[in-house]
Amino acid sequence: MSGASHFVEVRNLSRRFDVSKPWLNRLIEGGGRRYVEAVRDVSFDVDKGETFALVGESGSGKSTVARMLVGLMSPDRGSVTIDGTSITGEASRSEQRALRRRMQMIFQDPYASLNPRWRVGRIIAEPMLALKVVPSSADAASETARLLTLVGMSAGDMRRYPHEFSGGQRQRIAIARALAARAEFIVCDEPTSALDVSVQAQILNLMRDLQQELGLTYVLISHNLAVVRHMAGRIGVMHAGRLVEVQPARQLFVSPQHDYTRMLIGSVPQMSSAMRRASSTRGAPCP
Amino acid sequence: MADPVLSVRDLRVEFPTRRDLLVGLDGVSFDIHQGEVLGFVGESGAGKSITGAAIMQQIAAPGRIAGGEIRLNGQRIDKLSRTGMERIRGRHIGMVFQDPLTSLNPLMTIGDHLTETIGVHLGLGRRAARDRAVSLLEEVGIPEPAERLRSYPHEFSGGQRQRIVIALALCAEPELVIADEPTTALDVSVQAQIIALIRRLCDTHGTAFMLITHDMGMIAETADRVAVMYAGRVVEIGRVADIVAHPAHPYTQGLIAAIPSLETDAERLRQIPGAMPSLSAIPDGCVFHPRCELADDLCRTRRPVLAGEGDHRTACHRTAQAEYAP
Repeated sequence: MSGASHFVEVRNLSRRFDVSKPWLNRLIEGGGRRYVEAVRDVSFDVDKGETFALVGESGSGKSTVARMLVGLMSPDRGSVTIDGTSITGEASRSEQRALRRRMQMIFQDPYASLNPRWRVGRIIAEPMLALKVVPSSADAASETARLLTLVGMSAGDMRRYPHEFSGGQRQRIAIARALAARAEFIVCDEPTSALDVSVQAQILNLMRDLQQELGLTYVLISHNLAVVRHMAGRIGVMHAGRLVEVQPARQLFVSPQHDYTRMLIGSVPQMSSAMRRASSTRGAPCP
Repeated sequence: MADPVLSVRDLRVEFPTRRDLLVGLDGVSFDIHQGEVLGFVGESGAGKSITGAAIMQQIAAPGRIAGGEIRLNGQRIDKLSRTGMERIRGRHIGMVFQDPLTSLNPLMTIGDHLTETIGVHLGLGRRAARDRAVSLLEEVGIPEPAERLRSYPHEFSGGQRQRIVIALALCAEPELVIADEPTTALDVSVQAQIIALIRRLCDTHGTAFMLITHDMGMIAETADRVAVMYAGRVVEIGRVADIVAHPAHPYTQGLIAAIPSLETDAERLRQIPGAMPSLSAIPDGCVFHPRCELADDLCRTRRPVLAGEGDHRTACHRTAQAEYAP
C-alpha cells in the first residue's frame, strides 16, 4: 500500500495507559507499574468522501483511536497521516495548524460538549475566528446564520443558549460548529447514542445529506451495529484494543470472519425476533 | 382468563407547578398476567418510568396520583399508607433499575444485601437465608455463588451486578418485577444474557415482568405484549409480533421505521418531524397530531381512546374504528 493514495492513513497506532497504584502504595505494598494496552497496533485507511466506522463494546479502544485521530491524544507508537501531513509529530507547527482546521470532532453528549454560558452564535463563530477562516466577526455572524440553516435550524437560534434546545437540536449545533471551520474530515464519537430513535434518524439523515453536499469524510465510532451498517461504507471491528476485522459494511454482516464479530452480530436484539418467537413452540403466556 | 397480577385503570399523574398543572400520565390502563412480560416502549419523557414509579408509589412530591386505580392481585394498592406500601415493595413487587451500581450499597457485601432482604421479607433464620442467597445467585448465573457472597459490588462486572440486582428483586418471589431500562448501561453481548435470564425467570417462576425500555429490539426479543407510550398516554397496545409486523398508530409506524436495521437496506431512515411535546404544551385532541401526516380536524379537536379488535388496540381516529371519548 503506497503513501499518498488515501485521505487518512493510520499506521500501527498503539497507546497504553498507566493504571499503577500511587507511588506510596507501590512502595509499601510492593508491585511495579501496571499498564492497560488500550490500543494495539491498529492500522486502517479512509478515502475521501467515505464513512469508515469503528465498532466495539465498551473498553475496546475505539474512543481512544478517535482521540488520537484528531490529535487530542498522542499515540505511544504509530502514525496518523491526513492528506499527506502527519499529525503525530514530524510536520511543522504551521502545517499542523492548517490541518487542525480541516478536521473536527463531534462528541457523544450534546449536553457536555457545548459551553452553557455561551450563546449558540458565539459557540459556532468561535472556531471560525480562532482558526481565522473568516476575516471579521460580521462575516462570522452571517456564516453562522448560514450554517444554522444548513443543519435544519433557524438563524434566530443564534441568540439562544444551549439549555433552550433539545438533545437532537444540540447535536445539530455541534455539527454546525464542526462545519464552521470548513472541516472536511469529521470524527463522530457515538453521535446519536444519547438521542431517541426518531431524533437519531433525523441526525443520521442530516449527516448523510451534508456528506453528499460537502464531500465530507467521516470516521464514525459507535457501539450500535445497526447505525454503523446504515451509515458506513466500511466497518472495522475493535476488540480489546485490536482491530480484529475490516470489511465493507454489507459484507461484514453476511460473512463475518472473526468469532468476536459473529458473537457481536448475534447478540443484537432484532425486531424480527418477535415474529420468530411468536411462531415458535412457546405458547401463550397468559392462561 | 385468570385475573391479572397487575391491573391499572385510567391512571393519572399530575405535577403541580407554580404556574400550571402538568399531567405526566393521562388515562393509562393495562393489565399484566402471570408469567407475562409487558414491555413499555417510548422516547424520553413519554411517561414509561412515571408509570413504573406510580405503581410503586414512588412519584416524587409534588407529583401525585390524581386519579384511576392500581390493583395488585385484585387489591387496591394506590391508596395504601406508607407502611402498607413498604409491605408490598420487595415482597410482592420487585424492582430493577438501569444502573446496578447505584442500586447496591458499596459498603455491603453481596451476601449482606441478599440475606438482609430475605430476612426482612421471608423471616428466615441466618443459615436458611444464606442458603437461599446462594441458590438465588446460582439461578441468575453467578459462578461460585457461595464464595462470592463475601464480595463487594465493585468486585463484579456491570452485567454480573445487574444479575445480582435481579436476584435481589427475586428474593421474596414477588408476583411482579418492574425493570426500568435494565440493560441500557450494558454492552450488547451482556444485554443478550440478561434478556435470556429475564425470559427464563418468567417461564420457570411465572413472575410477571413490566419491562420499561426505549429499545424496540429489546422489546421484540423479550416481551409478550407491548404498550407504546407517547406524551403520557398509551397510544397502542398489543402482542409484540402483531405490533412489530402491523403497527397501526402512525407514531408506532414512525418509531419502527426510524430504527436502522441489520436486515434491510434503506438509503434514508424515516424520520418523524419535530419532537415530542413537553408536558407544559400538550396539544388538544390527539397528542400526536402536530407530527402526524394523517391528522385532520377530528384529530385536532377530539381525543382518541384505545380501541380495536381483540387485544391489539390503538388510540387513533384514522387507523382504528375508535370510539370517541366524551
